Formats: sequence, structure tokens, C-alpha cells
Amino acid sequence: MRDDVRIGILYSTTGPYGAIGRDAREGAEFAFHEYRARGGSALQPVYFDPHADLAAYLDGARSLIRDHGCRHIIGTITSAARKEVIPLVEKHDGLLWYMCPYEGFEANENVLYLGGCPNQHLIPLFDYLLPRHGARAYLVGANYVWGWEMNRLARELLVNAGGTVLGERYLPLEEVAVDRIIADIEEKRPGFVLNNLIGPSSYAFLEAMRALAARNPAFLPENCPVVSCDLQECELDVIAEGAAVGQLCAAAYFDSVDTAENRAFKKRIADWLPKGRKVSNVFASAYTAARLCIEAIEVSGSEEPQRVREAVLSRHWQTLLGTLEVDPATNHAALPFLLGRINGDRGFDVIVSRAALAADPYLTASAARPVPKLRIVS
Amino acid sequence: MSLRTPNFTGWRATILAESDGNTERLGRQLALLGLSVVRQWHPLGAEALPDLVLVDADQGWDDLLPWEGGAAPCPVIAILGSEAPGRIDWAIRQGAGAIIPKPVAASAIYPALVLAHSIHEERAAKALRIANLEERLKLRPVVYAAIQRLKSERMIDDERAYGLLRDGAMRRRLPIEQLAAFVIGGSETLREVG
Repeated sequence: MRDDVRIGILYSTTGPYGAIGRDAREGAEFAFHEYRARGGSALQPVYFDPHADLAAYLDGARSLIRDHGCRHIIGTITSAARKEVIPLVEKHDGLLWYMCPYEGFEANENVLYLGGCPNQHLIPLFDYLLPRHGARAYLVGANYVWGWEMNRLARELLVNAGGTVLGERYLPLEEVAVDRIIADIEEKRPGFVLNNLIGPSSYAFLEAMRALAARNPAFLPENCPVVSCDLQECELDVIAEGAAVGQLCAAAYFDSVDTAENRAFKKRIADWLPKGRKVSNVFASAYTAARLCIEAIEVSGSEEPQRVREAVLSRHWQTLLGTLEVDPATNHAALPFLLGRINGDRGFDVIVSRAALAADPYLTASAARPVPKLRIVS
Repeated sequence: MSLRTPNFTGWRATILAESDGNTERLGRQLALLGLSVVRQWHPLGAEALPDLVLVDADQGWDDLLPWEGGAAPCPVIAILGSEAPGRIDWAIRQGAGAIIPKPVAASAIYPALVLAHSIHEERAAKALRIANLEERLKLRPVVYAAIQRLKSERMIDDERAYGLLRDGAMRRRLPIEQLAAFVIGGSETLREVG
């Protein structure tokens, strides 16, 4: 194996999802920090920051591949950015390590999907919500494919359950004018609100929902929760104090996961970054992606993407997210489902957990979906 | 907006093409979408047709598919590298409702399935509706004869006679043509409105 293998890290640390991108980048950095600490030197990360500019993702990927010779890129947060980068990665037969939850309906041989698709987040989330809060819901989302497709699927799940969609509204990425949506929600009285907004829109929405609940207790989180599949600990630092407390979010990892592995992981991070921070799902997932990439290259003795991919697919991996297995048919990882309730300490209390679920990106099994077994942990 | 997520689990697909990297990628992606796949490079038999046909439109010849003139009994997808109008026309004549360009990209397959399926359903529904309308058109003389009979029997005008027939058909949940045939045959006298 060459001793100067470069791994591209493509995350945006500014813009509407900057908080998430910074955590993702730090997660990857921490994996390389640990790699060097154990004496590793052959693999080096190369960072590119597209600053949330869609066109810059393509420039970044091109520069990482052509100028730096990267065969592997760990990166992209939004589906829009991922779809921008994929054709180039395919053309150069590289491997894109994607680790965010996304809306599904993709299975590319040149991508490893480590962040989960709807049968791993939205569907189990609805399995929990419908018996408790009914099937009359209000859907909000960012005005691009994530928001559109998550809400389309939510509508299908609600209609299948005999319920209704009381409203469906979209906001452009940086829009924070949420008053009209809030007024509509107050009038329609949903049992819960599915929030697929991103960044500042999402924060403004959560703050406005809290203000609504303050004047009308029907909208307190215990009566009408705002639920999402992508809210992170690092974002809770940006939202007004207490505004999101009680709301729900699905993820494969939370800082509060109480296992010996996670306690040890958080201790190692505290030693590396003494400033004190909570570990988010994106941090943990980017760390897992980078570590998996490093270990798979070491195991296969080559950076050749096809061989690395085969190495990843060929066995189980012990990771921060538990024992991780990637399905050779779909290139998607099986992931645990956790439901977190936001607490007053800018973190999530895990209230439901399910063992790793295999990904079904095209929902081929949805017609015969098994009855879920939920384990209530608090 | 389509509400139900398209699901192809359990479908049988036949790929009519020579084996190469394209058909290999196609087969893999179709399998993960839940389809069972057969590949062959000889004409498709008219018996035991699959649920979906994917055909190499660059190489395909006229007898490859056992139907003509867009009368495809199942959704058809053309796999096409050429831009030659003759080849595109050949694909249209086989009933293709979608194209997967060569080289085959994984991301092109599911959208083509959904599109070809939707177009096939739409065509089938329209063909059924046209056949129905043609049948009714053929029976117009029967309706005309029934109206003439009601007019002369009851001394009423065209409009009234047609009204009787239409209301009677609605009440009995029959096509107006069928009721007209009964009236002419004498087995129906429309007594209740007499």
C-alpha cells in the first residue's frame, strides 16, 4: 500500500447547515487524530469547505479527486450536494462515504450509505407516534428534495393509517418567517407536527412553537410534539434556551447513549477537545465513516475503492453505533433506531430504542411491513 | 402528486439484450428493487409474458417482441445508446414508455420503471375506455330504434323518449344501449314511468 493515501473530507462549515457541517468535519478529524495517535501515517485527510454553495461541491470533489488524487470522499450533508458529487465520483470510480440520514430511493455502487433512510428513521418514528398522538398531522419542510420526499412519505403513512394531513408547508433554506405557518397550525390543531425544516428555519419554527404553547397549552410538546429525523445536539446550542425542550427526534446515536463504549468515546473526545461538548449523531456518524474508511483500507491493503468496498461489505464492524453491517445489495448500513426527547441540558433523553434495522432504500418491503416491537426505556 | 410509493416487489422482468456490463448493472439494481430478472437475446415468446420488458433498442429487431404497433401487454423500457431517429422510432413502435440511456447508471433505473409503469397503466385505461365507447357507438342505432318506438307508443317527442330511456337505465344501473335493446325486444316496457 502507498504511504501517502489521501482521503477527501467534503463538509461545509458555514451557511444554513453550518453547525451540522462543523460537527461532521470534527468527527472525521477526530478519527484521523486517533489514527495518528496509534502510529498511523499512510493516510492523510484533505479538507475542502464548499461553504454551502452547491456548485462548489462539484469544484471541491473535482479538486480532491484530480489535484489531490483522492479515491475516497467522506462528505456532503444534503441530498442536493450528494447528487451533485455522485456523477463525478462514479466517473472516476471512487467511493463516496455518505453518513447523514436521507430520504431514500438511491443505491449507488460508488456510495456507502451510513446515515439511514426512511425505514430506519421516519417509519419507526411514525410507529411510535400514531398510537399516541393520532394520525392527524401537520407537515413542514425545507423546500428541496429532503423536505418534499419525507413529507410525501409521511402523507402516505398517515393516509394508510386512516389519518389526514392538515397542512403541508415549505420554506426556502434560510427563511425564518414562520408566523403564517404557526397561525395555520393553531387553527388546524394537529396531533403532532413533522418538522423537516433545516437550520435557521427549523430553529425559528421551534421557538415559535414554544411561544404558541405558552399561550395555548394544547401545543405543549406532550400534547402536540414537533418531531424530526435530523436535529442534532450541536443545533440545540443555537436554539433559544429551552425552546425545543420536550420535542422529539429520531437518530441512530445520541450523546446520552449509556453504554461503556460511548462513555469511553466521550472521555477520549474530552481529552482531545477539552472545551466540553456534546457528541451529535453527525459527529458520531462522520467519525464512524472515517474510521471505517481507514480500517477498511488497512484491512484490504489498498485504497482501490472496489477492494475497500468489498472489505466493508464482507464482515461486521465494531463501531460507536454498535455492530455495523453494510448490505452488499444496497450499500446501506443497518442502523439502530433511537427516539430522543430534548431535555433542559441541550441534549436528548433516549425514550425508545430498537436494535439495528436493515435499510430498505426503495421501501420494497413496505407492503408487508412487520408489526414493530418497541422497547420503552423510560 | 403520486401518493403511493411505487413498489415492484415480486415482478418478473425480462431483459432482451446481450450480456455485458450494462445488463449486469441493470440486473443487480432490478434485483434490489425486488424484481426477478431473466436475460435473453432471442425473441420473447407470446406465452408466459413477464411483467416488464427491458429491450436493447440499439440492436433490437422487429420479431424480438411478440406484439406490434404499441400494443404492448406490459410496460416496456428501451435501453438506448444511439441517438439515431430510426432506433428511437423502433423503441416507440415496441411500446417503450421510458428510456434507460447507455452506459446504464444505477440512478436511471427506478425512475424509468416508475415512468414506464405509469404510461402503460394510462394507455391500458385509455384503450379500455375507447373500446367501451366504440361498442356504445355501434349500438347507437338500437337506441335510436327504441326512441322511435317509445315516441309512437306513447305519443311523446324525441327529448321525452330519450329522457325515459336514460332515467330507466340509471334506475336499473344498466347501459342505455342495453335497456334500449330490451325495449325493442319487448322484454322491458318502462312501466314505472308510463
